[in-house]
Parts: sequence; C-alpha cells; structure tokens
Amino acid sequence: MVQVVPEAGVGSDVVVLTVPADGAYLSVLRTAAAGLAARLHFTLDEIEDLRIAVDEACAMLLADSSADTDLSCRFEVSEDALTVAVSVPATRRKLPGTDTFAWMVLSALAGDVRSDSSGGRATIWLTKHRSGAV
Amino acid sequence: MTHRPETPTARRAAIPRPSPAYAEQATTAELLTRLSEANQGDGYWAALRAELVRRHLSLVRAMAWRFRNRGEDLDDLVQVGTVGLLGAVDRFDPSRGVEFVSFATPTIVGELKRHLRDKAGTVRVPRRLQERHAAVSRASMDLYQRLGRSPTVRELAAEIGATDEEVLEALESAQAYTTVPLDTDDGPTPTAQDSADALDGVEYRASLRPLLDRLPPREKHIIVLRFFAHRTQSEIAAELGVSQVQVSRILTRTLQQLRAGLAD
Repeated sequence: MVQVVPEAGVGSDVVVLTVPADGAYLSVLRTAAAGLAARLHFTLDEIEDLRIAVDEACAMLLADSSADTDLSCRFEVSEDALTVAVSVPATRRKLPGTDTFAWMVLSALAGDVRSDSSGGRATIWLTKHRSGAV
Repeated sequence: MTHRPETPTARRAAIPRPSPAYAEQATTAELLTRLSEANQGDGYWAALRAELVRRHLSLVRAMAWRFRNRGEDLDDLVQVGTVGLLGAVDRFDPSRGVEFVSFATPTIVGELKRHLRDKAGTVRVPRRLQERHAAVSRASMDLYQRLGRSPTVRELAAEIGATDEEVLEALESAQAYTTVPLDTDDGPTPTAQDSADALDGVEYRASLRPLLDRLPPREKHIIVLRFFAHRTQSEIAAELGVSQVQVSRILTRTLQQLRAGLAD
C-alpha cells in the first residue's frame, strides 16, 4: 500500500499511498500528511491546515467516484514544501470550479492548488510551503 | 430465573446458581438433547439451560479474556459473552452431530466483537493520551505567545518533554475522538456583528450564505475568520481564548457540515 520512491538527483522523497475510494480511509491520508509535514518542521498551524486541506480535496474527488475504485495520494517532500496529489479515476462530472467555496477553502488552507482531469484521472494538487520557522 | 436478559442487571442475575443433582450427573450432550425436548420456559427447561451455561462459563471467560485490552471491564465482557453462550444453547441442534463447544465458540466471540464494535464510537480517550493532549494544547498556546508564531512539532516536543511521535499522536487523538465535549472550555461567544464585519465585501456563492447563517455563532465566526478574513488558526485561537487544536477540530467538523449542506 505504501511506496517510498527516492527520486534520483531531485532532492525530494516521494510517498505514494493508495486506498479504496471510501471516506473511511481518509484518516490514513490525513495522518500521513500530518506526519510528513511534521518531518519538514511545518508549524502546528500549517500541519492542521494541511490535514484539513487533504480532507477537503479527497471529499471533492470522492463526491462522484464509486467506492470500488481507488484513491491515490502522492506526497512529494522537498526541502521546504510538501506537495500532495490526490487522484481518482475520472468521471464525466467536472471538479468544482475555482470560484466555489470549496476551492476557496482549499486555497486558503494549502496555498497553491490546481486540478486536472486528463489521462483518465481527476487529480488535485496541493502545495504547502513552509513558512520559515525552523 | 431470568431467561432473556435485557439489562446488565438482568444479565448478572442470569449467571446460574447451583442446579439440581439430576442435571449434574448427565453429560453435556445428554443435557442438550433433553433441553431440545423440554418445554421451553418451564422450570425443568430453565434448570437445564442454567446448568449448560454453568458448565461453559470457563469457555466464556477464556473468550472474554482475549478481548481484555479493548478498554472494557472484564466482568462486563464475561456478561456479554454469556449472552452469546445463551444464544448458542438455545439455537444448538443436537441432531446435527456437531460438538457444542465448536458451535458455541464463534457465537460467543461474535457477541463480544459486536459489543466492542458498538462501543467503539463512544470510546474514551485513554487518560495518558488525554493528559498529553492537554499538555500539547497548553504548550502550543504558551509557545505561540513566546515565539509570536505557531510552534513546530519538535518545539512542542521539547517543551513538554515528549517525542515528536508522541506529540503527533496527541494531535491525532484530538481529531479522532469527537465524543469529547467541544464546548466545555468555551471562550467568549462572538457576536453576530463580528462575523458580519468580516463578511463585508466578500463575494461568495448564494447557496453558502444560508448555510453559514445556520451555523452556531462561534462556528460561523471561526469559518469566516479563517476563510474570508484569512487569519491563521493560532490567531483565531488566541482571539477566542481556546487552543489552536480546538480551532482545527471545529474547522474540520464545520467544513464537513457545510460540504454535506452544499451537496444537497
């Protein structure tokens, strides 16, 4: 279920978690996000924001995916930022637009947010930068 | 003697007293055959049933013992297991040639598991974790004052003399156990006017407004401060006189409510 892939030469670690596309598994992803953010010396504010952001992003994706598919979560840990990419097999419905409350919440929590529905998967990327506390 | 225990007290009463000697001398298989032929509900039937339960109480205790680390009292588990045993005694069919113990064991274990599963939603946070959570909460407020920013996990760990893992565990427990009353250490409740000010000049979906208005004042205030006024969790916590972890918990819960409302 867990894969740690050191990406040669880039100076960042990648952790990939795949869970059933079911809300019951979100706590696993939230916990992983918090643990990785803590390793990067994120502040408590940033850790809790990220935890909620992962919840929101997954909820967005799970809203129209069926439970027998998978939810993939890829964490990329670099020197001063954590990028989380959550994805599910794409359905016909579009992801919430950037003018929605859900999107506004995500941006406030994570900082950089983008989404994409190409390649058969709907993906949301969240990038949270460390504020500079060490 | 009680046959169908419904309450804990009734279950306690169902643990059998010494039975007549005629039952003592027979084998378990014989008793089960006699029970299947007895008139359900009469004194003879009840005595047979009680004797069968008495003979298998050690089995119930052994099964209950296996679940002793789940935060439940062992005596309570034995009672739950006994209910499972009674069910097995009543459903056992001697003509099928199965050993009673092989038949009863999964029934007893099933009853115990069901009981623990039903209880899981209302599980209490272990004291050790409660204390650590309280220490993390306090330290996060102290450090916020001292550093002028939210602390890192490492700073919190150093402050309370715990490991990073233990701090993370405490933060996690704050999120997981929502049965802990949220409003026990309530700060001053913000007035509707505070929220209205922060909402001034903010454009948002028309469907959101009625949902926000349905929230309790404090929940609405926290949502507005975090997402419309762009304040940090620590700033909101300091303003309301609660811990940052509590703000995080309220945000998580309230966003879930809003999501459910917007999806309707």
